[in-house]
Amino acid sequence: MTYFLQNVVNALQWGSFYALIALGYSMVYSILMLFNFAHGDIFMVGAYIGFGVATLLVALSAGGAVVLPGWLILVLTLLISMFLTALLGMLVERVGYRPLRDAPRASAAITGLMIGIILETGNLWLVGARRVSFPSLIPTATYDLGGVILTNKKIMIVLVALAFMLALHFFVRRSKWGMAMRAMAVDYVVVPLMGVSINAVARLTFAIGSALAAVAGILFSIAYPVLDPYMGIVFGWKAFVAAILGGRGSIMGAALAGFLLGFIEIFVAMAFPSTLRDLIAYSIIMIILVFRPHGFFGEPYSTKLRL
Amino acid sequence: MSLLRVEGMSHFFGGLRAVHDVSLAIEPGRLHGLIGPNGAGKTTIFNLITGVYIPTGGRVLFGGEEITGLPPHRIAARGLGRTFQDLKLWRHMTVLDHVRMARYATIGYGLFGAFFSTPRRKREEEEIEAQARRLLAMFDIEGLAGQLVTNLPYGVQRRVEMARALALEPKLLLLDEPTVGMTPEELNQMMELIRRINDEFGVAILLIEHRLKMVMELCDRVSVLVFGEVIAEGSPAEIRGDPRVIEAYLGRDAVAA
Amino acid sequence: MRAISPITPPAGKRPLRCRIFDPFRETPLLAWLFGAGLAVLLEHLLGESFAALVGLAKVPVLFGLMIILSKPLLFPGALLYVAVIYLLPLVTVALLLARPANTAAAALLRLGPAVSVLFHLALFYAVLHFWAEISGYREMTVKFTLIAVLLTLSLNLINGYMGEFSCSHPGFMALGAYGASIFSLSLFVNDPLFGKALLPAFLGPWLFPLGLVGGGLLAALGALLIAIPSFKTRGDYLAIISLAFLFIVKSLLENLPFVGGPRGMGSQPDYASLPVVFAWTAMGVWIMNNYVRSTLGRSLNAIRDDEAAAEAMSVNTRHTKMTAFMFAAFWAGVAGGLFAHMMRFINPATFGVQRLAEMLAMVYFGGLNSVYGSIVGAVSLNLLGEVLRPLELFKWIFIPLLLILVMIFRPTGLLAFRDFDAVRLVQPRSRDRQGGAP
Repeated sequence: MTYFLQNVVNALQWGSFYALIALGYSMVYSILMLFNFAHGDIFMVGAYIGFGVATLLVALSAGGAVVLPGWLILVLTLLISMFLTALLGMLVERVGYRPLRDAPRASAAITGLMIGIILETGNLWLVGARRVSFPSLIPTATYDLGGVILTNKKIMIVLVALAFMLALHFFVRRSKWGMAMRAMAVDYVVVPLMGVSINAVARLTFAIGSALAAVAGILFSIAYPVLDPYMGIVFGWKAFVAAILGGRGSIMGAALAGFLLGFIEIFVAMAFPSTLRDLIAYSIIMIILVFRPHGFFGEPYSTKLRL
Repeated sequence: MSLLRVEGMSHFFGGLRAVHDVSLAIEPGRLHGLIGPNGAGKTTIFNLITGVYIPTGGRVLFGGEEITGLPPHRIAARGLGRTFQDLKLWRHMTVLDHVRMARYATIGYGLFGAFFSTPRRKREEEEIEAQARRLLAMFDIEGLAGQLVTNLPYGVQRRVEMARALALEPKLLLLDEPTVGMTPEELNQMMELIRRINDEFGVAILLIEHRLKMVMELCDRVSVLVFGEVIAEGSPAEIRGDPRVIEAYLGRDAVAA
Repeated sequence: MRAISPITPPAGKRPLRCRIFDPFRETPLLAWLFGAGLAVLLEHLLGESFAALVGLAKVPVLFGLMIILSKPLLFPGALLYVAVIYLLPLVTVALLLARPANTAAAALLRLGPAVSVLFHLALFYAVLHFWAEISGYREMTVKFTLIAVLLTLSLNLINGYMGEFSCSHPGFMALGAYGASIFSLSLFVNDPLFGKALLPAFLGPWLFPLGLVGGGLLAALGALLIAIPSFKTRGDYLAIISLAFLFIVKSLLENLPFVGGPRGMGSQPDYASLPVVFAWTAMGVWIMNNYVRSTLGRSLNAIRDDEAAAEAMSVNTRHTKMTAFMFAAFWAGVAGGLFAHMMRFINPATFGVQRLAEMLAMVYFGGLNSVYGSIVGAVSLNLLGEVLRPLELFKWIFIPLLLILVMIFRPTGLLAFRDFDAVRLVQPRSRDRQGGAP
């Protein structure tokens, strides 16, 4: 039982990463009807930006210029990285997607794929092929709850992830911009009638998605402090599948599917040899898709790739 | 024997009753009009007859055989052609390819022929092309055979669509508002064309139309559809005098007046 | 409709492009092939000594471009080599032999279009063969490129002609590669995984086609698995389910110890020689081109552009989509089999998302719905990938940037929506035969 609960805790943490990344995919997919294949690499870049900012702040602090406590460095790192990664997201939208708004959707998917490759390569060039490790900002505290081991980091990761998801939920539901996003998901034409430009909504969508990817990147670096330039590929494609599994038009569905993927992976690894993890996880996803073709919360739709 | 018999056909979308207990009979070679106000369910009836939707109740018989529930392509292959209100042309295909495509069901060379370009395939493709060009000539668009449809003016696109439907060699042609958005001149040409198709090919036609005048001039029989139900059927003269039709079209006051 | 008025620029001020290409307007393909043949011959006879003369260490492997990129100072020599060995004979023959070549092309055509096409193909192969013979690296590149053509065209069937977005092509390639490898490793080779050879080794090359077809059929079977659920619903469904399939195939192969698990399989017999690869690629292109030009194959376009209209015109859309998908998978499987016997080593990691990105890039770069486009996309991106090797990391910035630019300015690719007609390609080009064509 404790073993089971322990795995639930681990799965919650693992699923948080997927969920946060899947949100970015799902937003772009729901609102702009595009596959943003660069998103996994934006996650990777977000983690690296976080690494850069944190290292810089730690160095400043150690140099005695301004002495900052670890938690403050963490908060600052999070905010600055979110901002910078959001800028990157907007840049990606401007360069790779806006010129292709009227093009076949598949072409935009290709530019996304290519931007992803450029981001990986650019990162390799800047940082090099060696893995870098994320500085430890807060000391780890461990709590033993009847055999279930919790750490303060795990709790923090899950809570921060949930907080951002809730914030996004309320933003999309309550704010004027969120309404514009939801309107755009239904019909492009009405958005300008609301006095909001399509470009602004698209930019905002990419900015938010990228900022969330940065959060995921930093939380991931806290849990697994070794970064490598290809981490976006492994996570990105899986989160992409999760986003679609959630269903088009359902942002929270994507988050739930992300957690589901986390649970599947952790529990498969618990019961089977870990090499079987991908095989079983994807087989389960495929079976789900066969029986629920539109995902968990998606409405049936009948758009094809415009050509 | 009627060419097409629709017996007590009903259809629901969710809980919404779109078509209720509709019966129609169309005789070979005749021109039958289907009129009714917007949202009466005319296009839904087309979609039910051609298999796009499966009727919730009732039967459809074509040439004496039941076709209820068959997939659209099999119904089409039996000789039931149709056009669409919104054209539905294939934007990356040429005019000639449009007309050739409707011969799909008659292709006998199969995948093997398609892969290896057998003599049989060459022969069949030549026949298909010759027939397609004849049809295009009949519609005065043979000069546009190699053009992409998106480059053509609207009236010509209508002709392409009509030629495509006729390439099926249908016994019955369902025309869904073929004159929508046309200028008076194009309208006259289209009426002429419909008459010619009816005369020269001996194809029976079921015509959905908004403009009463056109239906009255063209059709042998007319059915009036209101709120998914056929409220009247008869010759154009009978329909013109029917108080229920006037009421449906002009409101109750017009009848009283 | 927009009226097209003929634009005739004043004499003597014709655009540069016209002035360069005008003299070659009447040169038929045959003359170009002869020219290329002469160039290759020249390279065989004089290549090494001429390379030494212009200061190059050895014969430039890929038109001197790699040399220019890695040692920019050698660029005059490399340029001179290309000009003298390749361009000079090519241009001279193309100009001088245009007239007799036209006569010959016309005579060939009178023997039958098939004869003429086959003759041209044989000539093309001869040129390619002698060009590739110069170095092992060239031969490798040519084989890679030919296999890429097969992969690109088969993916184009789905993503271009049919207008769906399939991500499972590397998976099909893997199925073909593993299927064909198991076939030849278990039958003709004493292999640690499969034990003693069951048949004498000399039969191997002769039965190799069976292995390839078997691998292709295995891939088609995999495609059926995706096709059954996918083509009931519409939308982006295929994209996701095919992606999941790709990952399933990859991790399945990693978990099957009898095919080597993550370490993969090696020492496949060397059956994929240049003529074999060329013959299979030519056949694949021929068959796929036949298919997309038939009314049966054109129904894919109708389904893409408007599925409801296709159904109403008697097209069995579900059946057509499933056959086309399996057909495309078959050729991806064949390409995989060739790939395995060319590399003589495969492992599951070879068939991941990177391979997918590569294939998609070739399809969309060359052009959707186009056999020409697939050939051009596969050849140019493959050669570019090789030529830009000296740039190392920056190659992976340059190529994606190029592709992004192509997508922005030509969203359906460079040569989209073109019909490939081999018979028209081999036609004579003299003006009098075509009735004064411009």
